[in-house]
Amino acid sequence: MSLQGKYRIGIDVGGTFTDGVLVLDDEVVAKTKDRTTSDVTTGTIDVIDHLLEKSGVKPESIGLITLSTTHTTNAIIERKGLDKVGIIRLALPTGSAIPPLTGWPEDLKEALGGKKNVAMIPGGYNYNGEPISELDEELVREKVRDMSDNVDTFAVTGVFSPVRSDQEIRVAEIIKEEVGEDVPITLSGEISTISLLERENSAILNASVISVMNRAIKAIKDAMESRDIEAELFIMQNDGSVIKADQATDYPIFTLASGPAASIRGAVFLTNIKNGALVDVGGTSTDIGYMVDGFPRESMMTVDIGGVKTNIRAPDLTSIPLGGGTIITTDGESAKKLGPESVALDLQQLAKSYGGPMTTVHDIGVAKGRLHEDLAIFSTPYATHPEKAKNIPKKIVDEAWNMIKERIEKTIDEMKTDPEDIPVILVGGGSTVVPKKFKGASKTYQPEHSEVAGALGATLAEIAAYAENVVDLENRDRQEAIDETIEMAKENVEKNGGDPEKAVVLDIQEVPFSYMPGKREKIRVKVKSEFKGIREGGD
Amino acid sequence: MTREYEKKDPYKIIDEWGISESDYQVIDGRAIEEITLGANILATGGGGDPEIGLKWAKNVLDEDKDIVMVQPEVIPDEIQLACAATLGAPIVLTEKPPAKENTKKIFYEMERYLDRPIEATFPIECGGVNSPIGYAVGGELGLPVIDVDGMNRAFPELQMTTFATQGVPATPVVTIDDHHHCCVVDMGEKNKVAEDIVRNIAMKYGGISWIGCYPMTGKELKETGVLHSQSLAWNLGKTVMEARRKHDDPIESILEFLKSDRGIPGAHIFTGKVMDIDRDFGSETTHGFSMGRVTLEGIEEYEGQDAYLEFQNEWLVAKIDGEIKCLPPDMIALLDPETGEPIRTDLIRYGYRVKMIAMPAHKNMRTPEGIETFGPRYFGFDVDYTPVEKLLGIDKDE
Repeated sequence: MSLQGKYRIGIDVGGTFTDGVLVLDDEVVAKTKDRTTSDVTTGTIDVIDHLLEKSGVKPESIGLITLSTTHTTNAIIERKGLDKVGIIRLALPTGSAIPPLTGWPEDLKEALGGKKNVAMIPGGYNYNGEPISELDEELVREKVRDMSDNVDTFAVTGVFSPVRSDQEIRVAEIIKEEVGEDVPITLSGEISTISLLERENSAILNASVISVMNRAIKAIKDAMESRDIEAELFIMQNDGSVIKADQATDYPIFTLASGPAASIRGAVFLTNIKNGALVDVGGTSTDIGYMVDGFPRESMMTVDIGGVKTNIRAPDLTSIPLGGGTIITTDGESAKKLGPESVALDLQQLAKSYGGPMTTVHDIGVAKGRLHEDLAIFSTPYATHPEKAKNIPKKIVDEAWNMIKERIEKTIDEMKTDPEDIPVILVGGGSTVVPKKFKGASKTYQPEHSEVAGALGATLAEIAAYAENVVDLENRDRQEAIDETIEMAKENVEKNGGDPEKAVVLDIQEVPFSYMPGKREKIRVKVKSEFKGIREGGD
Repeated sequence: MTREYEKKDPYKIIDEWGISESDYQVIDGRAIEEITLGANILATGGGGDPEIGLKWAKNVLDEDKDIVMVQPEVIPDEIQLACAATLGAPIVLTEKPPAKENTKKIFYEMERYLDRPIEATFPIECGGVNSPIGYAVGGELGLPVIDVDGMNRAFPELQMTTFATQGVPATPVVTIDDHHHCCVVDMGEKNKVAEDIVRNIAMKYGGISWIGCYPMTGKELKETGVLHSQSLAWNLGKTVMEARRKHDDPIESILEFLKSDRGIPGAHIFTGKVMDIDRDFGSETTHGFSMGRVTLEGIEEYEGQDAYLEFQNEWLVAKIDGEIKCLPPDMIALLDPETGEPIRTDLIRYGYRVKMIAMPAHKNMRTPEGIETFGPRYFGFDVDYTPVEKLLGIDKDE
């Protein structure tokens, strides 16, 4: 199947709206914003239908659909529809003072089956790959048999598995022998990196949302089939790359925070700028992210998901309570405070420019003349009473405008790694009411279609993959070790649906193990490639 | 384990000491969080991530084990104490959380070596993982935790305590791994040699070891420790959390508390933005420590000024516009202006906005032996120690 001459659909599920775009090459043919539904799936299918209606494009001309979704995030936050997880830790005697699920919120613990499905087993490795304990295979078998009636999936975490994964892989084999080939198993070493408790949490959460992801993908595939769409379905991941839907069901945790990643990819789609800051202004908050070579910069911090600390990779993002609906407190003469309260969804009832009583960021934008025309995609006008905004005293307008500007500037600056000026790209529904000139910005871009940046970003179907290797450079050639890791990453990119021959190395990280004798280091390689289908068959 | 440590009951122990209810406090989950936060402010940018210790201590409480903190003045002179801690590579600790029986093994071996029972314990330092570990150990063993430590801040090496500088040796040190391999290092007064050996044992154990150290009597503890450093950390943590709830300025609240409640003159000496971080790499230069320099550009009332900090795990030297304002062992903390959260040397990045405060070290830290062991020259700075009150022109005693 070729994508030549085929249309691509990108869908970005947000908290309030589900955005969709239909593109041909880099032309936007149709765009839509629909209400996000509580099940997420219905809203997603609505978007597909509206795009087909609006564009008149035939279903068989669609080559690719990419979805950035919140199914898994919602399931974890709402504790709904989660799988029961068999939790196996390979570490004893190490780690017994802090068993799995320590510090988890009670309701989430219960939702995935609680402490009774936890097994701590002798096993694990030291940093140099020497076992802490030999794996007690019989005990694994016994515990798996005990749990098998009560759990849907398994999460296996071994000490230093990112360095040596043999034991985790062996446990997966045993689980399959005991429970069956089809049982979903999450191995922690495939999910994240060093730091046992956070990696274990990540693996358990991943294992808890496998059915959620499976059901979502099945529903969307069924909907596609009933509409005669034969396109490939891809899922957006939180590093900005996409993965084949069938592969995504093994790693649903990577769809968390895929929305901001999609926005960053969208900014690249719209401006072709690959390094800089992305300022995504919504109704109640602004996300500021950072793009490096066209992909979101990875966060170095732990990521809290539903009250649980994890160390999954995620975009480095700062969220500030500043959006179109953010309230400006005044004393009638001057602006006193910017937010953090917001009129949220009641902008059209409460904001001055709609005849309401509150002064909001939106009204300041109107008063400044920054917003003077309706956005075609919203069915509502930008202001029904623009004169009420114009009547806000100039002093308040200017002071508030400065507060908004300084708040954004400060956050951009805190995200930087050095004092150089950088390009800033403004996107999102609220981007039309905030200032366009920032200190620290070499230039500010506000591209057309930016209100659907996330959906556009999803259509850039680039596939990425990682590989990790720990080597001792005292008895191993460094370049040879790096090359070997690159080959491993290329094998992984093929598994994710990409073309290994077109793989490009995006990043090579070498992390020395300090406080350690010898010259041991961890090599981590990231590659990206194109969707393999593009080449096959040609025109 | 064939040889078993018999878990004690802290209430029974303090009952035998015959102390009154006002001399001890019960430590719960919230107290542990407050103590850990306060200790991390005192940690002066070092001590590492407290997370593992915090989780362990909370898990001990979840298992309905009692943690009791006792005022130092009331403990009998003749009782035997010792403390337990972790030593080694922080990254290995994040991958290898403690085995439950470790502390029992340490104290079992220590008691065997000393040939007498240990009746209480204490954290070795304020800040980082070893601060909550002191409480987890107390809970696991059923020993009272004494309101004291060996520095009222964090420092990287075993010998850097007021105990050692005032004549109580760090050894015998019991050092074990999760399999309960055990070495006892007994070096007499040679604390620095002991530190080197114990660190090498940790490497052989796979990067970290669990140690018991500083065995001493109640009398020695009272004479050489920094008394009430635990309740200082606790109240500091409470102060910051309350400031957050009330939306007060946490930095003002911290300084006000130190001064009015403890008579400690501290000062807010700079507000700035991080402009540059110059980190040293390579274990030959750093010996495994996190080392480097940070440059800050003044903001708000400090606009036009600049500050410069040297760090080796902890913030050590602060200069403002080229003038030295604080030297070790006096204390520097970089705090988030809004939350009061201390910012660690391993986490600081370009662009951070921080408020810098300086505080005098405890008087037991400022003895000639103390300045020799952890003063500016020990860390390689060619400058004599001058107390921070003098450098800042603030008086300690009026």
